[in-house]
Amino acid sequence: MDANSFFRVALPPVCGLGLLALLWMIVSSTMGQDIPGPRETWLQAVEVFRDPFYRNGPNDQGVGWNVLASLQRVAVGFGLAALVGIPAGFVIGRVEFLSRMLNPLISLLRPVSPLAWLPIGLLVFKGANPAAIWTIFICSIWPMIINTAVGVRRVPQDYMNVARVLNLSEWKIATTILFPAVLPYMLTGVRLAVSTAWLVIVAAEMLTGGVGIGFWVWDEWNNLNVKNIIIAIFVIGIVGLVLELVLIKLATAFTFEEVKT
Amino acid sequence: MSSSTIQRRGFLSAAASAALGASGGVWAAGSDKPEKEEVRIGFIPLTDCASVVMASVLGLDKKYGVKIVPSKEASWAGVRDKLVNGELDMAHVLYGLIYGVHLGLGGPKKNMAVLMGLNHNGQAITLSKALARKGAVDGPSLAALMRKEKREYSFAGTFPTGTHAMWMHYWLAAAGIDPMNGARLVTVPPPQMVANMRVGNMDGFCVGEPWNQRAIMDDIGITANTTQEIWKDHPEKVLGTTADFVGKYPNTTRAVMMAVIEASRWIDANSSNKMKMAETISAKAYVNTSVDAISQRILGRYQNGSGKSWDDPDHMKFFNDGAVNFPYLSDGMWFLTQHKRWGLLKAHPDYLAVARQVNQVELYRSVASAMNVSVPKDEMRTSKLIDGVTWDGKDPAKYADSFKIKA
Repeated sequence: MDANSFFRVALPPVCGLGLLALLWMIVSSTMGQDIPGPRETWLQAVEVFRDPFYRNGPNDQGVGWNVLASLQRVAVGFGLAALVGIPAGFVIGRVEFLSRMLNPLISLLRPVSPLAWLPIGLLVFKGANPAAIWTIFICSIWPMIINTAVGVRRVPQDYMNVARVLNLSEWKIATTILFPAVLPYMLTGVRLAVSTAWLVIVAAEMLTGGVGIGFWVWDEWNNLNVKNIIIAIFVIGIVGLVLELVLIKLATAFTFEEVKT
Repeated sequence: MSSSTIQRRGFLSAAASAALGASGGVWAAGSDKPEKEEVRIGFIPLTDCASVVMASVLGLDKKYGVKIVPSKEASWAGVRDKLVNGELDMAHVLYGLIYGVHLGLGGPKKNMAVLMGLNHNGQAITLSKALARKGAVDGPSLAALMRKEKREYSFAGTFPTGTHAMWMHYWLAAAGIDPMNGARLVTVPPPQMVANMRVGNMDGFCVGEPWNQRAIMDDIGITANTTQEIWKDHPEKVLGTTADFVGKYPNTTRAVMMAVIEASRWIDANSSNKMKMAETISAKAYVNTSVDAISQRILGRYQNGSGKSWDDPDHMKFFNDGAVNFPYLSDGMWFLTQHKRWGLLKAHPDYLAVARQVNQVELYRSVASAMNVSVPKDEMRTSKLIDGVTWDGKDPAKYADSFKIKA
């Protein structure tokens, strides 16, 4: 790497992180001992990550297990949402009547905070874990439906005219024309859904308890252990970032256009 | 479970009892065998979850043929939901919460059961340092300050029908403060109480230890009164479950009660056991706090955060020769009278009938006598509370209506 690209590529993010650390130090030194500084937090983080996969009974497990448990919930809820949401998006985008029928419903339900659905999930599924998965499902289904439907509607009319000339069946239209054309929109929906799901799981686990990074934060808050809360904030952020990067890689592999971060 | 395993189990236990004779194990003989071996017991990280945790840690559960799995819960509302939907078999739970669910007050309605008391005493009313600096260090001085400086004062409990909300209400009213008028009572989790008190949003709260000690250690609040000063040897947490569970798994229920009673006896036996308990439950898996925050008040060493310290003989008790664990009907009825007093109940319930349904007095008697734990003769007890009013369980409706300050 030459000096020029060093200044252009590597330096700005380092400056950003440095700024964060500086602000953090200022805040922690003005707040007295309430907010621990970067150094103490780093030492505690080394302690926490020395053994991220220990198991000491069901109520005390390493931070690694907690992250995995949360990711598992996200995967199940998100997977179910994709199974339902993407086909639903296709149908809504393709059939005018259904789109007019369901749009008001979607507009009504989409802005509701997913956590408001948690008590309903608890009542219906009679279990905390299915209820948490249900909130993930409900929060990640909307972006997938909406983006897929929009994608279907934006398929250039020329493509559809060609299909009509060739007298293609509806199935053939879906697989050879719609799907490739809609894919970039769909993947945008998927990315939006995953980042929302990751936001929501932390909040949902705070309420339901059990193993998971959200309850880990709650438990540390119960002891007002601020150092571990800050560590958890970084862990949650980094996992979210990794999820995002993986999906961007996936999106670039499937589409011709450049995917914006 | 498939039917073949049941048959094999039956065969094995029959073989075992045949081999061992009638005096086999403590529990294994014949029909006393627990129907369900693994029992999930929910707990909230507080000092008074100790007997449930110690029953599991000391292995007392295995002695009676069950395995207690303590499960840390996020909030009392979470405990309620998981008890109702069966995710938890039993819980370390607020006395009033069980009655609230039984009557369907502000939530799901399900027949519930109080198996035994887990502790007496050991909660406290904390007032903020800011109020203390203005001279409000107990009920009367708080009332004087609230008359002089009028604004909205915020106080907190941990669950609407729970014990802390009732102590908070009772304590305010005893000092002549109407909690329905001129004060705002909210339900918030303990850390939020502390955080809000730190920034001046919260004037007082009632909560279990170690939180009051913690407020003193963090220099944000003072202990105005301990709850044992409100009611000496007051009922607090209970071992609660659903009526369905007791009906379906009577032997399991008995076995768990025995293990928890034995753990309670062990904790109260001497101060070295208490220290061991404090070390165990302060771990990350349980209360997740420093040993100091627990050990001082558990031994009766109190300080109020503004210079006074004393030895309290009425510190948190887990056993007290069985007096703690007996599910007095009058204790259960008291929470109903307060629910009525503060408008959570719209009409007088049949106090005695409800208490008899919920509190498993007969079950407790048989368990306690099998363990040679002394059982009080009377199902009622008489106590004089902080305002000088005596509660003996005799005329609950009259008692509930007798208070000047009520909803």
